[in-house]
Amino acid sequence: MSKIQKKIWTVSMVILAIMSAIWITLTYYNNKTLNQYNEILERYLNMNEVTNASQQVIDDLNDYMLHPSLDNLEQIELSKRKVLQAKNDVYNLRNEENNFNLTNYIHLIDSFIEATDRFIIFYSENEVEASAKEFTEATSISNHISDMTLTLIDKELKTYDRIYLGIITQSKDLKELGIWLILLIAFMLLVMSYWFSRSITKPVLQLTKAANELSKGRFDEQVKVDTNDEIAFLAKTFDHMRININKLFLETKQKAQLEHELQQNKILLQESQFRSLQSQINPHFLFNTLNTLSKKAYLEGSQETSDLLVNVAGLLRYNLKQMDRSVTLREEVVVLQQYMEIQKARLTDRLKIHMEIDEACLDIKIPTLTLQPLIENAVIHAIEPREDGGNIWVRILNGDKRITIEIEDDGMGMEADKIEQILLEKYKQTEGHSTGIGFSNVVKRLRLFYGYDDVIEIESVLDRYTKIVLKLPILRRENNDTAPNRG
Amino acid sequence: MRKTTLIMLSTIFIILCYFTTVSAVRVFQSDLELPKEITPDQTQYRLVLITQDIDTPFWDQVGRAAENKARELGVSLEIWGNYGSHQEDFLKNIEIAIQSKVDGIIVQGLDSQAFKELTKVKASFYGIPIITVANDVPMDESLRRTYVGSNQYQAGRMIAAQLIADMGPSGNVVLMYNHNPEHYQQQRLQGIEDSLKNYPDISIDYAETESTRDEVITATQAVLNKVPNAYAFIAVNANTVGAMIQEISKRYQPEPFFIYSFDDGPESLTLVEQGLLDGIIKQSPEQMGSQSVKLMTEWLKGETVPLDANGYLTEIQIMKATDIP
Repeated sequence: MSKIQKKIWTVSMVILAIMSAIWITLTYYNNKTLNQYNEILERYLNMNEVTNASQQVIDDLNDYMLHPSLDNLEQIELSKRKVLQAKNDVYNLRNEENNFNLTNYIHLIDSFIEATDRFIIFYSENEVEASAKEFTEATSISNHISDMTLTLIDKELKTYDRIYLGIITQSKDLKELGIWLILLIAFMLLVMSYWFSRSITKPVLQLTKAANELSKGRFDEQVKVDTNDEIAFLAKTFDHMRININKLFLETKQKAQLEHELQQNKILLQESQFRSLQSQINPHFLFNTLNTLSKKAYLEGSQETSDLLVNVAGLLRYNLKQMDRSVTLREEVVVLQQYMEIQKARLTDRLKIHMEIDEACLDIKIPTLTLQPLIENAVIHAIEPREDGGNIWVRILNGDKRITIEIEDDGMGMEADKIEQILLEKYKQTEGHSTGIGFSNVVKRLRLFYGYDDVIEIESVLDRYTKIVLKLPILRRENNDTAPNRG
Repeated sequence: MRKTTLIMLSTIFIILCYFTTVSAVRVFQSDLELPKEITPDQTQYRLVLITQDIDTPFWDQVGRAAENKARELGVSLEIWGNYGSHQEDFLKNIEIAIQSKVDGIIVQGLDSQAFKELTKVKASFYGIPIITVANDVPMDESLRRTYVGSNQYQAGRMIAAQLIADMGPSGNVVLMYNHNPEHYQQQRLQGIEDSLKNYPDISIDYAETESTRDEVITATQAVLNKVPNAYAFIAVNANTVGAMIQEISKRYQPEPFFIYSFDDGPESLTLVEQGLLDGIIKQSPEQMGSQSVKLMTEWLKGETVPLDANGYLTEIQIMKATDIP
């Protein structure tokens, strides 16, 4: 049976039990009182019966005297038996208060019977005088009996008067008790029903409130109902549902974010591909032309120009390669050197570059075109504006768990909010870059590739220096297959 | 708020509970007390004390003493009587007592044919012992077992002596008694006459009357007319003294007579206290009551058999109006 049903049943049973108890008590007392009344009335009737029976005997005696027939004699016997019966009944009515009188009464009846018997004997023996005397005697006793009946009843009335009073008082008390009981029960029922209804409606209300919260999208509030009925069960399952929804919700959110990142990555790739496509015909032509120029310069004995052209062509080729591939740091460093050669040719003495490269760490994977844009950035901001040029240091250092790449210049430095913008990937490039890839692009791709944000750090003091530090984890070969997906 | 409500509800609950409990206790405890049933073996001697008068000081004392004694002895006793010396009712009571086969009847003697018939014939027929009390009826006429009460002859003598002491040895004395004087009155008369015989200067006048008030008044008037020089009155039947004094005081104010009577009349004591009666013979009603019950019980139990046929005499003394403070 369900709990709520049980509760309702219990309340109904309690009410029923109380009502039955009261009903039984009242009925019992009513019955008792009625029995008492009856008993008392019975006494009077019994006593009266004696009078009637004795009178009947006298009547029969009289009849017999007038018509001495066997029938009448039988009639006398019959009524005599009635008297005796009545006497027996009366005998049972003796109690301490009427003992004396009732004993007298019974003896009086005996005397009456004896007188009747004597009368019949005398009469049958034809002793007229004696029988007449006995008849008178019997009549007088009969009169005495009726007198005494009255006296007895009178006495009974006196005796039972206080019992009547008692009965009346009791019924009054009973009525009073009834009123108090009704008040008490009504009160109890009211309080009980209030509690009972509350015990049902309160959890329902709590549940409703929780459902409301849930429908508003607040998934973090626990649904709690402290009862032990079905509502609590409902609440529990409801809470489960809430937790599940919450979980699903979070998962979806995460997924969405992931998708968003992927989308961004794609957009960036497309952007660079688009740019490379834009200049696809041109670069091929340029590349071939450059090669031709390089050969021509070589043939013409201009070694330096030829080398420069080779560098330009290499840079161009590197740039034309698929962008969505990772390369080794070594390749990257090679491209960097080529770029440096070109810039040196352009800027001659103004650019002083210092490379410190730990050869042991050149095998790690890295997104293509990461170092070149940074160096280019340094050249644009630190070297080009100054007539006397500047220094650029590139250090690739082997650490325990990661490889640190530092690109430092002694230029005019960067403002703090600019650094922040760059790190938050909000900085919009204004100056043109040779590869079409800006600082922000690099930061984004590095973060996407390695999957954590502090892959890049920028230190800068205005008019003193700017230092970009890349902290790259050492990715081993076995990770190579997954890496391209992220870059 | 919640606490206040709770306290209030609890208070109401407790109050209701209290009143309900009190009421319930009252209902369930008030067990009606029916008269106790008697055990079948609880048989007691049933005695009846039948008097002609009840509610007179004299007979009240007899009855009370008898009841006390009966309780003491463990016999049941009923007192039957009627008002105003109604003889028919009195006789009927005796008859009922006899027919009811009580164990013993203690009765105020009545010197009448019907009484004697009842006691002698009927009571003997039913085998019921009778003791007379206060007033005697001779044994051979009533077949009573014994008599408990004053020596009426002695009482007569005593009152005569008091009369002489008060009045002196000469004068007219009126004796008022019933038309057919009962045994006890005869005895009293006898006593008075025997005493006064010795004083030749005292002359005795007799006034006969019936018991009813009117007749007593008529008789009084008659005797006052007949003996205008009377000095003293003696009401031999104490029941008549009230009417007699009333009539005398109508004629003489203040009444100049010496009036004497006995204490077994309804007005005797009051009249003495008022000073209208000069003296009464004071009997011992309590002794009569208790002794008669005791003797009857002893006889029934067979402890004192037979009872003294001459009777058991109780104390008498004179009580004068001057004795009363």
